[in-house]
This record gives sequence, C-alpha cells and structure tokens, in this order.
Amino acid sequence: MTTLTRTTAMAAALMAVSSAAFAEDITITVWAGGSNDSDSYRVEAIEMAADILQREAAILGEELNITIDGRWDFAGWSEFKQAVTLAAEAGDAPSIVVTSHLDIAPWSQAGYIVPIENYVDLDAWPLNNVYPNLMEIAAFDGMQWGVPQDAESRPFFFWIETLEALGYSEDEIDTLPDRVASGEYTLQDVLADATRAVEMGLVEEGYGFYPRVSNGPDYAQFYQSFGGELVDPETGRLVLDTVAMTEFYQFFVDAVAAGVTRQNHIGTDWGQWYNEVANGRAAFWHGGTWHYGRYISEGNEDFWNTVQFSLIPAGNEAGRANTITHPLVYLVTAQGDDRAEEVAAQLVAIATEPRLNTLHAIQSNHLAVTQVQEGIDLYAGDRWAAEATERLLTSANSQPNHINYGVFSEALFSGLESAWTGTQTPEEAVAEVEAQLRATLGDELIVR
Amino acid sequence: MTGHARIWHLATFLGLLSLPLLIMYLYQLIDSVTAPRPGSLLPGEVSFENWRFLWASIDQGRPSIWQVTLNTFVFSCITASIICSLSLTAGYALSRLNLPGRPVFLGGLLVLHSFPTITLIIAIFIILQSVGLYDSLVGVIFAKTALLLPFGIWIMKGFYDTVPWEIEMAGVQDGASRFRVWWELVLPQVRPGLAALLIIAFLDSWSEFVLPLVLAPSSDVQVLATYMYAVINDDTNQDFGLFKAIGMFYSLPVIVIYLLFQKQLMNIYGGGTKG
Amino acid sequence: MRQQLLGIGFLAPAILIAVLFFMLPVLLTVGFSFTNMSTSTGIGGGEYLISQSDLRGLEAQGITAETVERLDAAGFQITEDGLLRFAEIYGAERATELRDDYLGDSFEARRDLERVLRDLTSEPIRNTRERKAAADLFAVSLLGERFASEAAFRGALATMEIPEADRDRLTTLAYTGWRWTSENFALLMELPSTWRYALNSAFYVAATLAVSLGLALFLAISTFYLPDRLAHFFRAVWFLPRILPPVMFVLIWNWFTWDTGFIATITGWFGVPQQNWMMQTPIHAWTVVILINGFVGASLGMILFASAIKAIPTSMLHASEVDGANRWQQVIYIMLPQMRWPILFYTCYQTLSLLTSFEYILLSTNGGPGSATETWPLAAFNIALNNYGGNLRYGLGSAFALVLVVIGIALSLFYLRLFNFKELVTKPRIEQ
Repeated sequence: MTTLTRTTAMAAALMAVSSAAFAEDITITVWAGGSNDSDSYRVEAIEMAADILQREAAILGEELNITIDGRWDFAGWSEFKQAVTLAAEAGDAPSIVVTSHLDIAPWSQAGYIVPIENYVDLDAWPLNNVYPNLMEIAAFDGMQWGVPQDAESRPFFFWIETLEALGYSEDEIDTLPDRVASGEYTLQDVLADATRAVEMGLVEEGYGFYPRVSNGPDYAQFYQSFGGELVDPETGRLVLDTVAMTEFYQFFVDAVAAGVTRQNHIGTDWGQWYNEVANGRAAFWHGGTWHYGRYISEGNEDFWNTVQFSLIPAGNEAGRANTITHPLVYLVTAQGDDRAEEVAAQLVAIATEPRLNTLHAIQSNHLAVTQVQEGIDLYAGDRWAAEATERLLTSANSQPNHINYGVFSEALFSGLESAWTGTQTPEEAVAEVEAQLRATLGDELIVR
Repeated sequence: MTGHARIWHLATFLGLLSLPLLIMYLYQLIDSVTAPRPGSLLPGEVSFENWRFLWASIDQGRPSIWQVTLNTFVFSCITASIICSLSLTAGYALSRLNLPGRPVFLGGLLVLHSFPTITLIIAIFIILQSVGLYDSLVGVIFAKTALLLPFGIWIMKGFYDTVPWEIEMAGVQDGASRFRVWWELVLPQVRPGLAALLIIAFLDSWSEFVLPLVLAPSSDVQVLATYMYAVINDDTNQDFGLFKAIGMFYSLPVIVIYLLFQKQLMNIYGGGTKG
Repeated sequence: MRQQLLGIGFLAPAILIAVLFFMLPVLLTVGFSFTNMSTSTGIGGGEYLISQSDLRGLEAQGITAETVERLDAAGFQITEDGLLRFAEIYGAERATELRDDYLGDSFEARRDLERVLRDLTSEPIRNTRERKAAADLFAVSLLGERFASEAAFRGALATMEIPEADRDRLTTLAYTGWRWTSENFALLMELPSTWRYALNSAFYVAATLAVSLGLALFLAISTFYLPDRLAHFFRAVWFLPRILPPVMFVLIWNWFTWDTGFIATITGWFGVPQQNWMMQTPIHAWTVVILINGFVGASLGMILFASAIKAIPTSMLHASEVDGANRWQQVIYIMLPQMRWPILFYTCYQTLSLLTSFEYILLSTNGGPGSATETWPLAAFNIALNNYGGNLRYGLGSAFALVLVVIGIALSLFYLRLFNFKELVTKPRIEQ
C-alpha cells in the first residue's frame, strides 16, 4: 500500500502548495550530444522556453527565476554518453539531455530519467500536435519518456553529372527515386553503375560508392535493404537474420573488391568527406537529411541540379528500399527534486512549440516534429524540408527502443568493419557477431 | 676519439633517422603561424589567424581557453606539490627509518609502481562519486596523485639512499631529534632530486588526458588535453592550422621547462635505473 | 620508539592515498568483475520494477501464466476503494460523478483516465499534476512502477494477489540493480574477440618493445660518439616525444599521415593516390601505432642507457682502443655487457607499461581499422566506458581489467625476484 499512500500524500501536498506564492530560483542544465554550432537551438530553445515560463509564472503572481546552463562541446557521442551516464550515477546529471531515442531503454531501466508524461499533459498544446509516430519513438514500455526534438532521415545520394555521363536521361534521373522506392533500382545496380563510373574515369577509384565514415544508425538501413529485421514485432525481441547480415557485409566487400569503395574508408575525416561528396568527387553516397546545409556551406551552391536523393535502395528480393529516422529526444533526468523535474518537463513542452522547433529545423536542416510546422512560413518556404519530408519520412522506420539494442548495433558495426577491412570474411564476421550476441543477449535475441 | 669522417657518417645516419620527427616539429611550428595552403608543403603567408582561440571563442559551446589553461595549471601545480611533499616524507621513512613491516611497504610500493593503473579507472570513478568528488578538479588531483605517488616515493627513496650516512650520524650524535636531522641536514642534500620530481610531476599532470576525460567532463573543469581533444574531434571544423596553434600553446610550457631544466630532467630518468 | 612514530607519521599520508585510490580500486575491480553491472543496472543499486517488455520473458523464467496474466491486467480501474481515496482529496461531488459514469471501467493508459478527469462536468481537475496524481489513485497494475524497497514491492504483489509461489522469483527478476555473477569470465572465454585482443596485445608489446629498445640503444650509443653539441641536439629531438602531451604528439602524427598530410603529399608527387597512411590497412595502422609508442619509449631508454654508458670508466674504453678494437667491437664487448642491468630493467618496465597503456592508441587509431589494433586494455576501456552506443558495461570491462591486474601483479613479483629484492630492503644503518 506504500505507493498509494505516497501518491495520496503527494496529491494532498500538491493541493496545498499550488496556492502559495514565493520567489523560486531554479537552475536547469541542458546537455546536447552530437551537436555543434548549427544545432545550437537544441539548447537555445530551452532558454527561450524558460523566458516564456517565467513570464507565465509572473502573470500568476509567482516569481520564478530560471537559469539555463547549456553545453554541447562534447568530443563525440561516446564522450557525451559516458559523461551523462557517469554524471547520473554520481547524482549530478544535467536536468535535460538531448540524445538519441535509443538511450531511453537503458536509461529508464537504470532510473536515470523520469517519464515526461508524469509532468505534462500529453493532450495539451503543443505535445498533442507532435507526429504520433515520432511520439511513439520517444516512448518505451507503455510510457512517454521523452519528446522528439527533431526528425530526420538518412537518404541515398546520387551525383547527377555522373549519372548523366553514365547515360541516364534527365527523365530517368527524375524518376530514379521512384524506381528506388519500388525496388526496381537496387544496391546491385548501384554497384554496377559505380563500377562503370570508376572504369570510365568519371570518379577516382574508391569514390564510386562513398559511405558514412563512422558507426551510426545508417548501417542498419543496409541490413534492412537485404531483408534484415531489427526487431520481431510480436515478441519485441531483437532479430539477427544471418542471411541478410551476410549479404549486407558481402555488399561492402564486393564494393571494395570492385574498387568503388576504399578498404580503409572507415575513419576518413568527416570534414574531408563532406567536402568531397558536396563537390562531386563521389558518384553514390548516403548521409542524413541535415547534410543538405553542410553541402551548401562546402561550396555546392546548386544542390538541386547536382544531387539526386532517394531511399536506401533494396539489396535483393528479400529486402526493401528503406530509410531510418533517428530523432533526438529531450529527456528529463531524475533529480530527486520533483519541482526541478517538473520545471524541466514544462520547458521541454514549451520548447516543442512549433515556432521554436522550426528555428532548429531550418537552421540545422532537420525535419519538423509537429504537424503545424508545415504551415509556418519559415518551414514551408524551405524546399528541402518539404521535399525530404514527402520523399523520405513517409517510408521511414526507426530502430527499436530495447535495453540491449546498443550491444546489438555495436556488434553489427564491428562485424561490418571486420569484413570491410578484410580482417575477416563476411561469413566469419557474421559467425562472430552471432556468437557474441548469443552470449550477451541470450533469450532476448532471435537468430534466423 | 678518432675519425672525423666516420662521425659525420654517423651524424648523417642519425639525422636521416630523426627526419620524421624533425619534419613534424618543423611543420608544427610553421603551420601554426601561417595561413593554410592545402596540398602544398610550402608555407603560406604569415598569419596569426590560427591563434584566434586566444581572443575569440572558436565556437559558442566551448569554455574560454584561459579558464581551461588556468584549470590545467592549478591541477598540475597542486598535484605536483602534493606528490612532492608526500614522497619527501614517505621516501625518507622508507630509506632511513627502521619501521616494522618496512619490506612489505617497499615490496608493495614496487608492485604499485608497475601497476596497470588506468584499468582501475572505473573503480576510481565510483570512489570519487561516493565521496562527492566526481566531476571536480579535486577528484582528478587525488586520482592523479595516487597514480603517480609510487613513482615519486621510489625516486625520492633513491635520492635519500645516496645521502651519506655520516651526515645523519653526526646530527644524531649531537643530540638532535630525527625530525630535526631530516629537516635541517638531510633535506638540503636531496634538493636536486626534489626539483626533478617537481618538474616531472608537473609535466606528467600537464599532459594527463584520460583521467580528466572520464572523471571531470563538465565545461568548467576542462583541462587543455580534453579541450584540444574536443576541438580536434569536432567534425565540422577540420582546421589543422588551428589544432597546431592550440597544440603549440599547450606544449609551450613543456618546451620552456625542458629548455630551463633539461639537466635535472635527464638526471631523474637516469636515476630511475637505481630502482 | 619516537623514531617509529616519526616513520609512521611520515608514511601515513602516502599510505592513505595509496589505500584509497589504489588498493581500494583494485579490490573494487575484483568485486565488479563478478557482477553484471552496466548502464542499465546502474552502479548504486537498484529498485524493483516490472515493465511491459519484462512480461514477455517471464514465462520462460518459470513464472506461471496466471501470474503473467494478472500482471498484464489493465493499468487503471475505477473501484470503490479508489473512489473513497479520491473523494477524500478531490471532493465527494467529483467522486459521485465518477462512480455514476465509470464504476468498474478499466483504462489501459493513464492518459485515458486523465482525459476523463479533465472532462468531469461537476468540476474538472484543471491542474495537470493534480490530474495525474488523481489518476494514480486508481492504479491497479504495477507495470512500469518503480518500488524503492523489496518490502514495498512484495506488498504490491500481495495487494495484487499474485500467487505466493511466484513472488520470490518475481522479486528476483524485478530487481533492476546489479547482481553477483561469474558470467563475465565465461563470456570472456566464449567471445571470439577476446583472443584477438590478447594476440593484438602480445604483438603490440613485443613489436613496440623491439622498436623502442633498438632505437634507444642506437641513440644512446651513437650520441656518445658524437661531439657534444650534436649529441645534445639529437638527444633533445628524441627526448621531446616523452614530454610532449600525448594529445599533441598524436596530433602531429595525424597531420603527418592523414589523407592530405605530409606523406600523402610527398607520395602524391610520384603519382601515388591520396590515402590515409594511418588507417589504410591494418599494417599501416600497426606501423603507426608501434612507431608512436616506440618513439615515446625510446626517449626514456635513451636517457637510461646514455647515463649507463657515462658510468663506464673511460679507462676501459681507452684500453680497448689501445688494443685495437674498433667501434663495433667496443660496443659489443664493452658497452653492452656493462648495460646488462639497465637493459633488463628497461625491458621489464616497458613490458608492463605497454601491456597496460592505451592512451596513444585511443588517440591515434582508436583500435581501428576494424578492431585490428584493439589491444586488451583499450578493449577494457571501450567496453566499460567509451562506446558509440553509450552502453557502458562496467562488469565485463572490470573482468577484462582484472586479467591485466593479475598479470601485472604476477609480473612485478617476478621482477622483484629478478632484481634481488632482499638487497633493496637492507636495514637502515642507524639503530637507536
């Protein structure tokens, strides 16, 4: 009965407190992972929200002073997550974190975060206007833990000039995304075209297909392209499809063998990578919707006439063209202080206000989280946001929120890396991934 | 010795062997003060643009370089002083005083001295967290001190060992307490060793990277190593000129200290053999 | 006596620090390696929680289907009990309305019940937090609810009338904190990657040691024969790697080897396509890793050996020259034998520190490409503290670290014998 007594006491306390008015000083720390200057609105939106919340409080006659202490200067995702985890262990976690939705499962299990639904009304503006599928991605185990901070997806890119030189007509190039979506144009065609492009000297060796240079959700897309499923929808267990995994690894090995991808490609400098793909040194590549802005700043003034984009093509009959959306989410951490958590949650809700979110979406070339953003001039006037939403987001799926997904995705990538760099054959790599996942995941894994 | 020609052969060979290092040092210097010229090895025009981190923020999210430098300086100075004072007393006790269990201490010290310290970082984190020192400079100072202390004690013990017994004997026979003998007679004898240890401990702390990275992630306790690492790893900004300038700024104290104290430095590493 | 007090006083602070930050961590590492501690279990201890995703595994764990069904029941239900509590806080009028319209109804999610409370005609509960608290009064399921203590959890199980037989097992399963286990070591043996890390480490230590020892000897001997100024210059050049901060030293290597760096530019003149000379293949990566660490190691060795050579009586060298020995013979027959102990010391010292160090590898290749240069300590660090998924496995990482701890202690005890420990601990000469 303890829980009930506790709840009852809390309810009574709430009734009592709500009428009292006193000056309140609250410091809210916000840490954003994987961010740089162009993502500054991840923190600034919270600052603007704080201003609004203070004004709202003032109207009610309360004095609320919120200080926001934001930080996004982490070296990378691993450093960020390490810092958040250790700080949470030390009872010193930032009040709000902006991170991958994949962290919800382990962090909620560990008790680092509190469900945002305990503090804000999900049926009230603006949370009731967030795309339901995005809201779903920020939920786990039947609870709404966070609020999506942005949306994106990870398309496949084509350099139009190279396609033309390969003999594609303008019309064929325009309809390419549809052919990819229907499964007519596959990764095998990519490989064939890339090989020709290298042979014809349109691009240098190793620049036919120019993938992402580090671990990321992108690679799960290729697993899906070959028919792999990440999670079993019925049981919620993770799935290792050995056939799909082998073929997915084989594709990258073939690409290296054909000379269209470099064997040492992983670990290429990001700055160099952006510059090269933005200026047509690569024939085919894949990236994220937010790369659009980066290509422009790398000197590609004419994106729409130089680059075509589509879903990630299917790899074989078993697979499908797909793209993964990997929204970052605002999470509120357990502070042991109900009021601080409540204020943090309210700030997150206010920061989701369409106008505020649009600032981030357009500045950093991400996609909207609420439905009405399409009607906001700043957003509607952006061709990229509009077309990418339509072409990609409709067929996007996300990675599963599962406590052990981190282990799964690390294993998937390290196997890929081994096969790609020639340390192991695809079969050996898959066997090692399987052995490792069986050992670490046990019942939570289905091997097909 | 003989043979000028042969010496020049040797010198030339050594020069060739050192070429990679020499090139690295040379371009480190050049690139930090010139405008970048991608794809060319000829230096561009002189420019101090790379040093902009000193007066402007390179991007909004980062703490100020001066705050970071101050942190590094405070961290290194305090760590070095604690290590020195503890080594000074413990080294003396182990070298000269007849203690019960002295062999155990010495043996333990040697084992610690050669221990996989960094593998303990998870446990160190938990201890710091439980005493509330996680994410503070004080915590990193304690951790660094502990990891470097066995080395310090060992070195100081080595220096005490070389002090002639006669000095102490004379003092003791005059009726002075052991403490006074240590303070007035022995300490002056090991001053060079102390200086060397101070320098080494300072340099070692100045360079420390993994401990602050894991144990003190907040902006306001960044040190130069973690600051530089974060700047290098920011993928939106691959500017080797900037990196090298920061590296130059970071290494400057090291180089100055080396130039001033090279004799002592060589001494202490040489002295290590005695252990 | 006073002398002993002085000794203890002198040692105490050092011992305190060593115990707190050295001995204690070692013991904790041993402890952790027998736990399943990770991000999701937390370090501090856990709570009791059964979540929706736990449900699917329960039957496999021997929980009866009846219990699972009970646990799976709808989350919120309007009951007389609940209404009574509700009336107390929110007034009889609202309670009556709820009873009239919804008595016996179940709600899957709290959100659904919240909507009802907001739409009460008598007087809606307007404040969000109050509404949530009110809804919680009708909670019947414990799914997703965290209980701070075992007693609280068991109490809740009793309230839900979960069969006695399942309660113990459920309590064990519901605990979110870490548990004692020896699985880490089984996993260590089972994972194919373990052996690769071990082999990588062995190769890394052997190759780096060979490079740094060779370099150090050559530098120490050759600078001995050079005129003072030149010797001085070269020693400075080779000493810098030791004292430059690692982040800085690796940065210049990065510049030297990266795609448009120095080597790539030079080789580019001869038509070699641009490439990253650090990460091109495992061979490139190993070469760079071994050179970086070898150079740093050579700095230390050079100083050690140079001072050992200086200690050789010049008369011995002069005598050999009179005997007509050439340089080569001088080195082989006089210097090297005299440097036996420094060389041995250096080898021992370097083996141990290379075996456990990973800083330079972390900064340069970070174990790549394809975990080709992932050594044992780096793997321990990555598993426990540093990976993209943010999935920190302290338990498994500690098991990896413990292996190194054991090897470290064994090696240093062996070294103690080798260097004749007894001689080191001869009694002090002043006895009072």
